[in-house]
Amino acid sequence: MDLAFIAEVFPKLLAGLPLTLSLAVLSLSGGAILALLLSGLRASSWLGAQFANFYVYIFRGTPLLIQIFLIYYGLAQFPALRHSLLWPLLREPYVCAVLALMLNDAAYTSEILRGGLRAVSSGAIEAAKVAGMSRPTMLRRIVLPLAFRQALPAYGAEVTSMVKATSLASVVTLMEVTGLARAEVSQSYRAIEVFLCAAVIYLVLVTVITRLVHWLEARLSTHRSPALDRSPA
Amino acid sequence: MNPTTVRTPTTVRLANIHKSFGRQEVLRGIDLEARDGDVISIIGSSGSGKSTLLRCIPFLEIPDQGEVTVGDETIVLTGAGHRFSRAERQKIRRLRGQIGFVFQSFNLWPHMTALQNVMEVPLHVQGRPRAECREEAEAMLAKVGLADKRDAWPAHLSGGQQQRVAIARALASRPRALLFDEPTSALDPELVGEVLRVIRALAEEGRTMLIVTHEMAFAREVSSHAIYLHEGRIEEAGPPQQVFLDPVSERCRRFVRGQAGPVD
Amino acid sequence: MGEAFTLLGFGPEGWGHALLTAGLTTLAVSACAFACGLVLGTLCAWAKIAGPPVLRRAADIYGVVLRGIPDLLVIYLFYFGGRQIVTAIANQFGHTGPVEISGFVAGSLAIGLISGAAQAEVLRGAFHAIPPGTLEAARVTGMRRWTMFRRIIAPQALRTALPGLGNQWQSVIKESALVSVTGLVETLRAVSVAANSTELPFLFFLAGGAIYLAITTVSGLVFRIAEWRAMRGQPAMRVGG
Repeated sequence: MDLAFIAEVFPKLLAGLPLTLSLAVLSLSGGAILALLLSGLRASSWLGAQFANFYVYIFRGTPLLIQIFLIYYGLAQFPALRHSLLWPLLREPYVCAVLALMLNDAAYTSEILRGGLRAVSSGAIEAAKVAGMSRPTMLRRIVLPLAFRQALPAYGAEVTSMVKATSLASVVTLMEVTGLARAEVSQSYRAIEVFLCAAVIYLVLVTVITRLVHWLEARLSTHRSPALDRSPA
Repeated sequence: MNPTTVRTPTTVRLANIHKSFGRQEVLRGIDLEARDGDVISIIGSSGSGKSTLLRCIPFLEIPDQGEVTVGDETIVLTGAGHRFSRAERQKIRRLRGQIGFVFQSFNLWPHMTALQNVMEVPLHVQGRPRAECREEAEAMLAKVGLADKRDAWPAHLSGGQQQRVAIARALASRPRALLFDEPTSALDPELVGEVLRVIRALAEEGRTMLIVTHEMAFAREVSSHAIYLHEGRIEEAGPPQQVFLDPVSERCRRFVRGQAGPVD
Repeated sequence: MGEAFTLLGFGPEGWGHALLTAGLTTLAVSACAFACGLVLGTLCAWAKIAGPPVLRRAADIYGVVLRGIPDLLVIYLFYFGGRQIVTAIANQFGHTGPVEISGFVAGSLAIGLISGAAQAEVLRGAFHAIPPGTLEAARVTGMRRWTMFRRIIAPQALRTALPGLGNQWQSVIKESALVSVTGLVETLRAVSVAANSTELPFLFFLAGGAIYLAITTVSGLVFRIAEWRAMRGQPAMRVGG
C-alpha cells in the first residue's frame, strides 16, 4: 500500500462528502413527506389505495438506476417539457438525482410505515376510542408514536440504504464521493486504492448513522421488556 | 331496577338492544338500567353476549337497533349499517367521555409510563390543566396501590399491576359509570385478588359500575343487582341473593351451581 | 405510437431482439450472482451459528462491511480493481498495456458478494426459527450430523428462508442493472444504447423498466408458488406473534 498516495487521495474524496450528504438529506426528507402522503392516500379510498399500491409496485420492481436515467435522459425526449419553465431545473443532474432518489425512497418508506401502522395493537386503539379521543388526537397521541417506534429499525436500514444509493448520482455526472473516486481512477489508474478510500468514507458514514438509530431506538423502546413483552397477550 | 323509594337518577340505560354478527344474532332485545350507585354484575356462559352487551355501551360494537343512554346523551339506532352523522359522532365521543372502560387485556398504551397513561385523557382529551391532571393521576395510582410504579412502563408491570393502572386510567377521566369487561380473565390466578380488591373498594365508594365477570363469589358480594344472560336475552335479573342463590330460571340455577363448584 | 411499436418490435428496424438478448443477460448475471451469494451466505450462516470464533468474527465483519458500502463501489472495485490486478500480473509476464476482464464475471462476483451478506442473515434467522425440539428428536435417534443437516435442518430452514431468499433474488435483479457500468450489454446497457441512437430516451428507458418489472413480477409469482407449496401441511404462521 502506498500510504503517501492514499493520504493524497483521501482529502480529495472527502470534498465530495457535503454533496453526498445533501443528496441523502434532501431525498430522505422529500421521500418521508411523500410516504406520509401515500399513506394518507391509501387510507382515503379504494382508488387511492390502488394508486398507492401501483406506485410502490413500480418503484420497488425496477432498478433505481433506470429511474434516474428515465428522469435525467428520458424527460429530454419531450419538446414541450424542454421549452417549459421547469426545464432549467429538470436539466440539472442534481435536481434529477434528488427527484429519482426521493420518489424511490417514498415507495420503500411508505411500505415501512404501513408495517408500523399494522403493528399498532387494536387494544391500544380501542382504549383511545373508548376514552372519547377524536381521530386526529388518536393519530397524534397513540397511533403515530407507536407506529414510529415499531418502524424505526426498518427505517434506519432505509436511511443507510439511501445514503449508499446517493453513489448512483455519480452516473449522471455529479461529483459526490463516488464521482470523485471515479475521476481520480481515470487519472491515476489505481482503482483499488482509490475505491477502497471511498469505501471507508461510506463505511464510517453508515456506521455513524447505524449507531445513531440504535441510540434512538434504545431511548424510545425503554417501554419494551424482552421478558414481559409477550405475557399480556 | 332500584326498588327503593328514593329514585336516584339514571346513569346508563339500554333499551331494546339488538346486535348480530353476520347471521348470528348475539343480542336479542336487551333492556337494562343502571341508576346512580348501582353495581350491576352481568354473568352468563361464554357466547351468551355479555361482553358484546358491555361493548355496545361505548359503541365499541355498534348495536343494530335500540337506544343507548349515558348521562344526558342518548343515541337511537334504527337498523344495521347505520351511518352516523357528524353530530352523532360527536355525541358518541361525549358519551364515551362519561364512562370509564376496563378491558380484559388491559390495553394500556405501551409507549407511555403508568402515570402518562393515567394523565393522557384528562390532559389531551378533556384539556384540563397539567398540574391538576398530574395531581389527580398520582392520587388515582395511589388509590390502586401503585404510587411507586408511576414511572414504570406497562411492559415492566405484572398483569395485575397493569390492570390496576388501567382502572386508575378509567377513573382519571371522572366518569359517571365504570364498565369492567372480564377484568380478571387474562390474569394468572394469584394476581386476581389484587384487582378484585380494588374493584370492591370502588363499589364501596358508591360508584356506578357494570361488571361482566366469571368470579361468581365476588359478583354476589359486591353487586346490588345481577343479570344472567343466555343466548342474547336476559334470562334472570334481580338482587344478587336471588340470581346467585335462588334463581327462578332453571338454566340460571344450573349455571350458577356449575360455576360455583370445583372451579372456585 | 405506431413508431414505438416498430422500434420495440422484432422487425428489421426494431430493437426487439437486442432487448430480448439483454433481458436474458440480465437473468444470467442475476442467476450467477444469486448462486454465488447463496454459497457465500450458507458458509457465513454456518460460521455464525457453529463456526470457530475466528470464522464467526470474519463473517460478522464481512456482513458489516458489505452493508456499509454502496453496491456501485463494490462493482467498481471488482471490475476496475480486478483489471488492475490482472494487468499487473500480466505485465510481470511480459505483456504490455491494460488487460480487459469480463464484466459478466466481475459483476456477478461483486453482486454475489453483496447478496451473500444479506443471504447469510436470512439463513441464520431461518435456522434459529427451527423448533429446537425437532433437533433433539433427531439427536436421540442417533442420527449423524450430516444426515441431520440434510434431512431435518435444511428442509425446515429453507421453508422459512424462502420469503427472505425471494426478496434477495429481487434485489439481485435490480442490482444487476449496475453491471451496465462495466459495459456488459445487459438490459440497462442495451436500452441506453438504443435510447442514444434513436434519440428516444424516454421510450427506451421505459421499455427497460418494463423488462425489469416483468422479471421481478414473474419471479415474485414463482417464489410465491414455491412458498405456498412448501407451506402445505404446515401450521399457519402467525405474523408478528
